[in-house]
Amino acid sequence: MKIRSIFGAQVGRFVSFTLTHFFHRSASQLPGRVALAIAGPNLLSDLSQKLSEGTVMVCGTNGKTTTNNVVALALKSAGKKVVCNYKGANMQAGIATALLPLAKAAPGEIDWAVLEVDELSTARTLPYLKPRYFVLLNLFRDQLDRAGEIDYVQDVIASSLAKTPNTQLIVCGDDPLSMGILARLKKEEGIALESNAGNSYLTFGIAEKTTEPTDRVPEARFCQVCGAELAYEYRHYAQLGAFYCPNQDFSRPTLDFAATNAKVARSGVSFDVTRAGEETARTNAPQKISVPFGGLYMVYNILGAYAATSLIGVPTPVFQKALLDYHPENGRLQKFELNGQEVILNLAKNPTGFNQNISLMLEDERPKHAFFVVNDNFNDGKDISWIWDVDFERLLAEKDLAVSVGGTRANDLALRMKYAGFGSVPLYSSAKEALAGVAEATAESQTEAKPQEPAPLYVLTNYSALWPLKAELERMARGEAS
Amino acid sequence: MSATKSVKIAHLFPELLNLYGDTGNMLTLAKRLEWRGMNAEIAEVGLEDSLSFSEFDIVFIGGGSDREQEIVARRLQKFKRELASFVEDGGVLLAVCGGYQLLGDHYILGEEKVEGLSLIDLYTDREDPRLIGNIIVETDLTKTPVVGYENHGGRTFLGSGIEPFGRVIYGHGNDGASGFEGARYKNVLGTYIHGPLLPKNPGIADWALLGVLNKKYGIGELEPLDDEVELLANQVMRERLLSGKVKEK
Repeated sequence: MKIRSIFGAQVGRFVSFTLTHFFHRSASQLPGRVALAIAGPNLLSDLSQKLSEGTVMVCGTNGKTTTNNVVALALKSAGKKVVCNYKGANMQAGIATALLPLAKAAPGEIDWAVLEVDELSTARTLPYLKPRYFVLLNLFRDQLDRAGEIDYVQDVIASSLAKTPNTQLIVCGDDPLSMGILARLKKEEGIALESNAGNSYLTFGIAEKTTEPTDRVPEARFCQVCGAELAYEYRHYAQLGAFYCPNQDFSRPTLDFAATNAKVARSGVSFDVTRAGEETARTNAPQKISVPFGGLYMVYNILGAYAATSLIGVPTPVFQKALLDYHPENGRLQKFELNGQEVILNLAKNPTGFNQNISLMLEDERPKHAFFVVNDNFNDGKDISWIWDVDFERLLAEKDLAVSVGGTRANDLALRMKYAGFGSVPLYSSAKEALAGVAEATAESQTEAKPQEPAPLYVLTNYSALWPLKAELERMARGEAS
Repeated sequence: MSATKSVKIAHLFPELLNLYGDTGNMLTLAKRLEWRGMNAEIAEVGLEDSLSFSEFDIVFIGGGSDREQEIVARRLQKFKRELASFVEDGGVLLAVCGGYQLLGDHYILGEEKVEGLSLIDLYTDREDPRLIGNIIVETDLTKTPVVGYENHGGRTFLGSGIEPFGRVIYGHGNDGASGFEGARYKNVLGTYIHGPLLPKNPGIADWALLGVLNKKYGIGELEPLDDEVELLANQVMRERLLSGKVKEK
């Protein structure tokens, strides 16, 4: 390592130690920011060169944190030593922070860095890290005010990838927008990318019709080559599915990791994976995967993680066991039990995320409460126009559903609910208030003959409201006064 | 008894122009008719569909990405004359974001000058930086100021005598300098306030509906609705913005 990087990393580690030991603060950004300020971006390459095996990166609009955590956990289960940005700090500073332990590590001590990366931050990380694997999950419309149009996001990722030509790409083949990045690489960067030729990219996806999607296609659903409107043999949700251009210049590729037999229930998802092109009967047989949480979107996250780890050599049973050990404590489908009251907390930060959460709620046949929370802080996106693109109307058919809203844009959500047909909904400023609302409703519906269980509360929130709500629920779960 | 009054709305090319929450505008128009015992017929007009503007009472043009907006601009050239007579005839035309730029003589896309519909005497240049953020506009159309969000690289300049939609009291507006936002002509309203313009600004929705109902049925005044939730959302946002509590960058 260069002197500047050594010094930068040392200062960063000191900042990290100070924050966590003296200020009891989470140190997921600042140490890396300080280290980068001293050492410059080459810090990333200097640190990553100490890895004995390499870097896996996970990118995409939705599902990064879950996928990344599953990859890290599976590698650890396979006996690898891993550094990871578990909490989802996915810009350059967060990634540098995750890599800081490498500064003091002995050669061979740490095998893999498993890093989720913000779409636009690929430009400031990929050229330095040159990952061995890059998983691209999906691209949905998100934070137009910050990220700009999807076209622009695709350009940024494509030009970042062009600077690391040896990276093996693992791409969601069902997503025309992710595949559009490959089309750009082919066209603009002159990199030969033919599926199954040289293995420079592999694709994953769901290879048969699933349930009929009821959500809209909010994204641009146009051919990434000629601009014609794409057609679908079948569609899973949003723009994901077996797409093809009527002009035959762009279509869903033959899937290298193909999920079939996907089953989605409240108890979780299960599916079979078939690896195309494998010669031996042993590896060609469908591998069964199940995970005790999530909706259809989780099939993609798990499939992406499976593809990456199986390429690295993690055996399926090890991967499957890691999934069963995975208890999200990052506000992604995190469950709480508060004196018999079930609370399910999940991130929902854009129309597709919200629509998938609505699907998840529809799979829960019990009476339930929903507390929707939207903030408009910088890392949420300042523009919340997208709440009008969420199909809240799908929830109207639910007989026993009580809706409440919160966040800095609670009034906008209340208005959205009015136009969705829910009438006037209550505004709450905390999980505690929302829970009091549930308790009140439960008390009202109590009858002597039929005592009521408290209905589960789904708390769906965008980014900046997630952490305070998670902290509040955790305090309540520990029995502390909030 | 007379038959239920009905308003026909053309939502132009929603497959292309749906950048952010534009369906919220359609939903608002439909619900506010429904709540008054009237009927909304919304036609989602596709790029390949045949189009006859005289069949419609309201035409809505939303915002799209640059590439998509250019496709729309080319497609609409065919209907330039028909749209002009729709407008001259008092038809209600709502155009937001990129749709607003299409109303003028031309706008700039990269190095290229894209011909507009020349419905209103205005044109649009392009300049860095993009004007992004929350916006409040005072307008003669409603008592309550209009609040929304803008995000545009275009700088729009109005011809002399063209009335703006309103005066900017927070945010950027047409060109970030004149203090004006949007443009009005007859029953045409163009504005950079994108996506869900109408839900939080029910006065604008009702202005559009009254324009149609007056022309079609001779209605002079709309039955008032309970707009508590709408106006509260509007007020809370304006107060947050004017108190300086919302950081735009």
